[in-house]
Amino acid sequence: MNIFLHELKAYRNSTIIWTISYIALIVIFLSMYSSFSQDAEGLVKILGNYPEAIRNAFGINIDNLVSIEGFYSFPLSFITLCAAIQAMNLGTSIVSKEVREKTADFLLTKPVTRSQILTAKLLGAFVSLVMTNILYFAGASLMAFQVKTDDFSLKIFFLLSLTIFFVQLIFMALGIIISVMVKKLKMVLAVSLPVVFAFYFVGAFFDTTGEEVKRYFTPFKYFDTAYIMKHAGYEASFLIAGAVIIFLAIGASYFVYARKDIHAV
Amino acid sequence: MNVIEINNLTKTYGKARGISDVSFNVEEGEIFGFIGPNGAGKSTTIRTLLSLIYPTSGSATIFGKDCIKDAPEIKKHIGYLPSEVFYYDNMKVKDLLKYSASFYKKDCSQRIKELAEIMDLDLNKKIDDLSLGNKKKVGIVQGLLHSPKLIILDEPTSGLDPLMQQKFFELLEEENKKGATILFSSHILTEVQRLCNRVAIIKEGKIVTVEKISTLKENTYKKFKIETKAPLDPNYFNITGVNKLEVKDNITSFLYRGNINLVMKKIAEMEIVNLWIEEPDLEEIFMHYYEKEA
Repeated sequence: MNIFLHELKAYRNSTIIWTISYIALIVIFLSMYSSFSQDAEGLVKILGNYPEAIRNAFGINIDNLVSIEGFYSFPLSFITLCAAIQAMNLGTSIVSKEVREKTADFLLTKPVTRSQILTAKLLGAFVSLVMTNILYFAGASLMAFQVKTDDFSLKIFFLLSLTIFFVQLIFMALGIIISVMVKKLKMVLAVSLPVVFAFYFVGAFFDTTGEEVKRYFTPFKYFDTAYIMKHAGYEASFLIAGAVIIFLAIGASYFVYARKDIHAV
Repeated sequence: MNVIEINNLTKTYGKARGISDVSFNVEEGEIFGFIGPNGAGKSTTIRTLLSLIYPTSGSATIFGKDCIKDAPEIKKHIGYLPSEVFYYDNMKVKDLLKYSASFYKKDCSQRIKELAEIMDLDLNKKIDDLSLGNKKKVGIVQGLLHSPKLIILDEPTSGLDPLMQQKFFELLEEENKKGATILFSSHILTEVQRLCNRVAIIKEGKIVTVEKISTLKENTYKKFKIETKAPLDPNYFNITGVNKLEVKDNITSFLYRGNINLVMKKIAEMEIVNLWIEEPDLEEIFMHYYEKEA
């Protein structure tokens, strides 16, 4: 419990900054909705002239664009990208920061097992992400109510927002497994940025071919906003894929971390 | 009773040397010195005892329990002070110590106050703002605040001024009197000589000898220096046990190991101006072990 609280405190500032950034982003985007919805038809026409590949890469879905949910999926892809970076940073740093800041000796000579340490740290990161998403959703939905022109489904709005959290969990798990595998990680961003962007661009690129199987390669494509809006639910196969990745990465992290030599600095 | 038992502990890092076949015991209530130059394997041994790294082969027990399998249980009663201390920079000393204490299920606040007073440590400062010596003091308080039964020190005195070093040693002796066993690793021999009952000497990853400090000294030579009126015949001290005889004008010097009476009789028969007999200090003994095989 003490490690968990310590960790939570350590992430507090960065969590707050990320959360405020997301809320600011979504407030700015949604505030454009009312003027957008008035000119919607013209814009749809313009956007329709863009190649489909580019529209897909940016998460623009012509059919749904006019509704607030459809409009929302456009900023959502940017926010998901940022959120993935946040989660990956968090995951990568929970183990590596003890090594980098040379505090591993302190923590690991205390009467706790390595699994207990990892569990506490994981929980700390998890709760930070949960807090981020709760605050973000509160901010985003409040804003949506302010700007809506028609009735909209809060459920779908919620389901769309929740994809941020799922993507975050996947990237956090990836961050953890990388950080326990690497001997010493000098800079968290040097790992998280390339990995997240690689997956993001892979997603944008693969999507152009439209093959279903290729969507498994990048977590950014696990949640298709058009599908969610249409079915008010997620695609089970991709939910399972995400869960498997998280499960394997975290399981392997426990295994590796428990057997890892912690070298003197 | 042995507090620490190390049996054929081996740790290899790929091709690089770690430690091989290290075995020694530390008895309850003693201050045990662990000496060797940098890179000899002191830290590797200690880090294995603390299960920070895992042995390639061999085993070790602390309080009769396996140091890997029962690590969390053992660590309740271990205080560890590494040679370089690093803590969470943005924390206050007070909070760091509280955090450290929170791992042991007892109230340590009184002890923290006492220790901070002895070590003259300001609890309200941020760790970030502390000098190296002051960080070390945090380390000392942090290592002792839960009144551990076994104190493991890995070259602990670096960064401490002589006055603080003195206080620190007194603190250790006090803990020792209260029943704590101490494993003290160092490459500074005078501090080992001052504190320890027994020592293990490690060289290139292998234990060279484990001895009482007193025996270590007995078993080695004494240094003789004799001043005479006229240069001495070099053959005069041609008895077994005499080494490195040097006659330089009126000064004769040699090393002697053996029955002290024999050499004293020889000296008594001579007309001498002055005489010095010196105990070798640990440093020389140490060099002796190191040169023997070199």
